[in-house]
Amino acid sequence: MNLLAQVSMVPTSVLAGVLILSPVAFGLVVYAVRTKWSRKGMVSAAGWGLTLAALCLFTKVALTHTTQAFTPDLAGRLTWDIVIILLDVVLLVWFFVIGAWLRNAPIMLLAAAQAVIVGAIETGLVAPKHHAEALYVDWVTIIMVMIVSVIGSIVAVYGLPYMKEHEKHAGIPEEASRRPRFFLTVLIFLGAMNGLVLANSLLWLFFFWEVTTLCSYLLIGHDGTPDARRNAYRALWMNMVGGVAFALGMLVLAAAVGTLDLQEIVGRQVQAPQQPMVLLGLGFLVIAGFTKSAQMPFHSWLLGAMVAPTPVSALLHSSTMVKAGVYLVARLAPAFHDTRISSVIAVAGGFTFVCAALLAIGQSNAKKVLAYSTISNLGLIIACAGLNTPLAMAAAVMLIIFHAISKALLFMAAGVVEHAIWSRDIEDMQGLVSRMPLTTVVMIIGILSMLLPPFGVLIAKVAAIEASVVMPLALFLLVIGSTLTVVFWVKFAGRLMMADPVVVFPHVEHLHSMYFVPLLLLAAGAVVFSLLVVPLLTELVIPAVAQYYAFMPVRTEDILAEGNVLGVPWPFLFGALALAVLLPVLYSRLTRRRCTGAYLCGEQDSQATVTAFRCAGEVTSAVSVRGYYYEQYAGEDLHTGWMTAASTLLLMLMLAGGWIVR
Amino acid sequence: MNEYSIGALGVLVAPILGGLLFGIDRRLTARLQARIGPPLLQPFYDVLKLLGKAPSACNNFQVIAASLYLVTTVLGLLMLLLGQDLLVLLFVVGLGTVMLILGAFSVKSPYSQLGAQREVLQMLAYEPLLVFMVVGIYLHTHSFSVSRLLELDKPLLWSMPLFLLTQTMVLGIKLHKSPFDISGSHHAHQELVRGVYTEFSGPTLALIELARFYEVVLILGFNWLLWHTVWWAGALLALGSYLAVILLDNVTARLTWSWLVVFAWVWGAGLAAANLAMRYVGLARIQ
Repeated sequence: MNLLAQVSMVPTSVLAGVLILSPVAFGLVVYAVRTKWSRKGMVSAAGWGLTLAALCLFTKVALTHTTQAFTPDLAGRLTWDIVIILLDVVLLVWFFVIGAWLRNAPIMLLAAAQAVIVGAIETGLVAPKHHAEALYVDWVTIIMVMIVSVIGSIVAVYGLPYMKEHEKHAGIPEEASRRPRFFLTVLIFLGAMNGLVLANSLLWLFFFWEVTTLCSYLLIGHDGTPDARRNAYRALWMNMVGGVAFALGMLVLAAAVGTLDLQEIVGRQVQAPQQPMVLLGLGFLVIAGFTKSAQMPFHSWLLGAMVAPTPVSALLHSSTMVKAGVYLVARLAPAFHDTRISSVIAVAGGFTFVCAALLAIGQSNAKKVLAYSTISNLGLIIACAGLNTPLAMAAAVMLIIFHAISKALLFMAAGVVEHAIWSRDIEDMQGLVSRMPLTTVVMIIGILSMLLPPFGVLIAKVAAIEASVVMPLALFLLVIGSTLTVVFWVKFAGRLMMADPVVVFPHVEHLHSMYFVPLLLLAAGAVVFSLLVVPLLTELVIPAVAQYYAFMPVRTEDILAEGNVLGVPWPFLFGALALAVLLPVLYSRLTRRRCTGAYLCGEQDSQATVTAFRCAGEVTSAVSVRGYYYEQYAGEDLHTGWMTAASTLLLMLMLAGGWIVR
Repeated sequence: MNEYSIGALGVLVAPILGGLLFGIDRRLTARLQARIGPPLLQPFYDVLKLLGKAPSACNNFQVIAASLYLVTTVLGLLMLLLGQDLLVLLFVVGLGTVMLILGAFSVKSPYSQLGAQREVLQMLAYEPLLVFMVVGIYLHTHSFSVSRLLELDKPLLWSMPLFLLTQTMVLGIKLHKSPFDISGSHHAHQELVRGVYTEFSGPTLALIELARFYEVVLILGFNWLLWHTVWWAGALLALGSYLAVILLDNVTARLTWSWLVVFAWVWGAGLAAANLAMRYVGLARIQ
């Protein structure tokens, strides 16, 4: 108790400093001291530091029940605001140099455009400068900080053995190792994400936003192959388009509202809603969110990003980068509550949800399936933000939490598999359960946690569907999307599980402890947090949502109402399902059952070690089975064109939304 | 009688009812095919015989899958009887179906694999129809719970007539009846090996058969909800669509999976959406 009291005494600005700056400091040490032990030590230390700081922040807010906006001090007249401006300049110059180095006019233009717009805001050219509190802490911030710090750290630790194997496979000698640079970028990335979710001044948010763009560019291009470079370039220009949209949004808001204080913008908009200019500004910010969250039509950069080493994918897809986009849209949601653009956002999110799920069905590349699933789920989160009701927002927050856990788990497991079989093709993973039972079980847990009750993602998905009843079109999209989701996951899991009949349990593979522990932690997290779904909701998510909609009463009992998804006795369901799994296990322990081969119409070759037909002339023909991918219906080439056109149209509608009469 | 004794009674009575319905199906189908057919209680004899067989399976997961299929179906029925959230009910039952599919996928047998792939497509076909029906109920009661629906004093059928058609379609798909029986059929004239069920045998298959007894009652329970005010009217409605499905089964043949998905999404989802649209417009006019 004493310790807790002491924790709550730590100033929030110190904690924020640790969350944002400590990973950068540890990263610089990794970069400077190029030994194995410095890498292992510093990455782990950064992980523990972030986790502890996030827990302290959580404890502090839980004990003191305060949300606060504040600006940390630096020294005398030199304020952090000035530091951020200087760093902004450095960053934009860096982007410009990258453009020049790539001899690429669009990148240079995008960097210049951002510089001009931000310069116009900073010099007070558009509107007189108005003080904005730099940082803000509430429950949503804390949830995001926990996700970034804990899951991000787990992924970073997993990266240690992974990158070693990765470079060994690529034939890079230890002296020329690029791992110091890699881990420096990863750690800066985590710090920038924490800064992004803590920021309250849009200028601060913009700076951290651009840092994540730079980090993702560096990480996607890490391998330096032509493929990696091409995809890194695509991620860069798409996210810089988002950056320009962000800057434009700031410009419009600075002119129309007169402040760049996020809380104030949200608060004022609520008092006097629906001025078209303000909505246009918000629309630009939402477009920025769409680029970062890889929503259609900007989804291709995230698909390209999978050329990067797996820890990068795990990071981009779960706790960082893409979550920044949905975070921004969700953060702004109360500001466009009950407006036309909110509905358009819901439809646009739902549209991405359906399209990405459909395209996932047609993919046989495991990482691509995972990537489409991420895009799809982010669409669902955006749709929830667009629906903009307390229940929908609770669903969005839950999805952010559970998707981060499950997707990090899936990517990390896929990475382990990739390093064992050196392939990403689902067909090559056929029967993985008999070769790598442990990893497969982890992967199956990950897959099932994405689509079945009583896991958190599904509970959130049901809540989202229930919340969408107010809007028929969104409802339609969500129902279709969830059905399509089931198809690609079940097909995927089915491939992994297919095996020749076995008498003895297959040999369990050995995993590096830095693979095993992160996987175990996340798999346990997916299960335990789902078990705790009701307390998680009442203690964490609903308070967060209530702070969100300060202008309308949000009562726990409304969200937990009977007949609602959250009113179902989940522990009882969990118990019954656990029993259904345990009893057969116990039963097969107690009885000796016969192990039979697969049924092959009586032409089974019982001598063969694999499932095989007995053919004419005493010839044995092994059974070979392939998965179905329905390319003629779900192929990328078939759909990408019209999907891009339709989603672009939706974005335009969103920008014009403020002027369309209700 | 409190709701828990209703639940307990339902769990005991449902398999008897379901087994009898299957018995009626087999008699009726036999008569339509100019055969005499098995005794009415044959489905029960089948389950008892399967339970008595020596346990055998290709892997342990199959047994877990079958057990989960049974338990989730019973849970689904229980949730219906206890007046719980219908949408959650659908996903809990969906868990069982996913497990059945994964159980079939877990064996390297061409027949079982094919059946599993097709069962996924069946899910794709019927799942939206069920969700739309639940949404239709919400639009009347502003709640997803069954208990609120039962407080309604007018039958749903008056304002949701098209859902009787979609529910009949769902019933046909779930019971593997022609022309919707792509993943496994009862009839030897169009299916030599039992599709998704191929690799389940002995007591494991008995669990699945038992689950199917519960399942048919559960789906017919959804039909009953369309006319809950007069209990026998709802029962007649359910029985009517059951008989319609049997008749359809005997006058049509299996079609392709692409036909099924397109048919269910164009006609099934189309009718459901049309009916929902009517309701939305009606509600908007009242406001």
